Amino acid sequence: MTTDPQQQQMIREAMKAIAERRPGRSKLVYDKTKRTIVAVTEGTQTPRALNITADDADMFGVATLSSHWLTERWGTLLRDRMIPVRFSSWDGGDALTQLEIGPLPASSLVEGVVVLGSDIPGPAGASLRIALHPGKGPVSEDSTIVAPDGSVHHATAHAQRNGEDHPLDTHFVDLQPDLALRRSSLLETNVLKDKTVLLVGVGTGGGHAAVELAKCGVGRFDLIDADRLTVGNVVRHPGGLSQVGRLKVNVMRDMILDKNPDAQVTIHPFEVTSHNVETIRPLIARADVVICGTDNRPSKLLINRLCIEENKTALYGGAFRRAYGGQVLRVRPKTSPCHECFVAAMPEESTDEEISSQQAADAVAYSDRPVAVEPGLSLDVLPIANMLTKLALMELVADTSSTLRVLKADYAAPWYLWLNRPEPGTRYADWPALSESIDEMTINRWYGIDLARDSDCPVCGDFIATLAASYGLDPKNFGDLAAPPAKE
Amino acid sequence: MWSTEQRNRLYLENEVLHREEFTQFSVYWYKETDTYEASGNTWSNSGKLYTLAIPIPSGFPQARPPMYITYPLPLYAANGNPISRLGVSHDMHTLAPSSSGQVQICHWRDNRWHSGILLHKVFLKGLIWIEAYEQHLATGRPLAEFVSTMKEYA
Repeated sequence: MTTDPQQQQMIREAMKAIAERRPGRSKLVYDKTKRTIVAVTEGTQTPRALNITADDADMFGVATLSSHWLTERWGTLLRDRMIPVRFSSWDGGDALTQLEIGPLPASSLVEGVVVLGSDIPGPAGASLRIALHPGKGPVSEDSTIVAPDGSVHHATAHAQRNGEDHPLDTHFVDLQPDLALRRSSLLETNVLKDKTVLLVGVGTGGGHAAVELAKCGVGRFDLIDADRLTVGNVVRHPGGLSQVGRLKVNVMRDMILDKNPDAQVTIHPFEVTSHNVETIRPLIARADVVICGTDNRPSKLLINRLCIEENKTALYGGAFRRAYGGQVLRVRPKTSPCHECFVAAMPEESTDEEISSQQAADAVAYSDRPVAVEPGLSLDVLPIANMLTKLALMELVADTSSTLRVLKADYAAPWYLWLNRPEPGTRYADWPALSESIDEMTINRWYGIDLARDSDCPVCGDFIATLAASYGLDPKNFGDLAAPPAKE
Repeated sequence: MWSTEQRNRLYLENEVLHREEFTQFSVYWYKETDTYEASGNTWSNSGKLYTLAIPIPSGFPQARPPMYITYPLPLYAANGNPISRLGVSHDMHTLAPSSSGQVQICHWRDNRWHSGILLHKVFLKGLIWIEAYEQHLATGRPLAEFVSTMKEYA
């Protein structure tokens, strides 16, 4: 692609003249003797040879519109001969993207209009004018749209910037077919679009999992989180600085829709506490899988109990301190250990949690012995988020003939352990170096670990019956407790 | 609203307290408000009276129940100041006091609590705390020095 400003200007003028079907000062002519295309400009003695390549087509900006949006309004276009449309303006006007295509607008917006025929003037104030010209095929070009009546139209676009006219390429896009095409070979997109994932906590881990699931085509999301995005979050969270201050559920809703515009996302900006049980329970009941990425035990234990009661598979993911590693626990009610079983069986692992916020630090510290906030790196949390996503997908397509079915044996274990580094002071400090190990446990590998259910678990087992029996009691004979003694 | 599982658990907790010879403590049901509290008067080895109270949270047993010393009130530190003024203190093993100034004993932190811990064990930690408190009064040293074995693991 040429970078010579003079050549670019000549090409632009010639292309503009061609697009507008009028003679211009510059023309593109094939020069047989030089075996290249030359631009001939009036008043110039010697034609300049231009080494035009396919990339030169990209020297023009692009206006992108949804073909679905336009065909739905075709009747209005036929009646009014024009439809106003707004665009995000990116990169100084190099890319103009119709607002309806995604949920995140640019900081600069452009008013535009689609007109039917080049003789229709656009309304005053419109900076972008896209004219549709009736024609014949081919319909495979990006600038071609087929109307509901089968007629073919080619688009030409012109933007007004700084009092100058700039031709643009027009791209019509068909969102869902284009998105589905890229993922349908591996995933049952028709299945996933009807599946619901409840994400409890959309911080770094839950947020990344949400975006990945949206990319895969999951169609329904419920997001629970009361936190707002802070500057400190930005180095880890999918949300960026431009979204600081927003509720994380709102940030993630927009990011999900930016990847899967047909997704249904419902936000629930509240804390997970026992006071919200009756609000949370129906969300669990309607979910196909629950991902719990909260950073405190009380919320995990509450979600665990509700998921067991509602018979819903749940995934609990978390990083260890400073994200030296992390773990994912998958709980299939009554068939695999629940989170309470895990806590009882693995007390050290279940309390090794990342201190990623002041709230998390306060939860484990006394006010006279503060604990430092020491979040890990995003890149060390992402393996855990990816595992959460993979396990969630496995659950969502479990009853289909998915390509993922071949992974069933690989992901049979309920508990998964990952280490980013052999952290000093932990039981993993002496793990062999990755480069030296042949068959020993090392960093940067997932380990699926079998764990037995606790048949006497207080949540998924027979805790009360077993404990009562150990004291010779029968729960069938339990009654009401006594009232407190009268105060003297 | 309490589930049958919760009511059975609390009934069993009361039975365990009594069968483990913690007969000074019981779990009570306040019928009018349909709330529960485990409480009782206990005497330290030196013969001083204390009252421990555990209001049962609606999320019990997944939610950690707080344990307060409701008598004596206020409870003074060796320096003569109410312990409740310290708030969340490692030196005194206390969490946030009640609105009426009752000292909350740190028995398990939220991130260590689980549903398998019985109120019997919670009261046991309360009794240990009381003995350590009296050592604090006698020596002026932080209470934490006398409860080093008071591990949070079940």
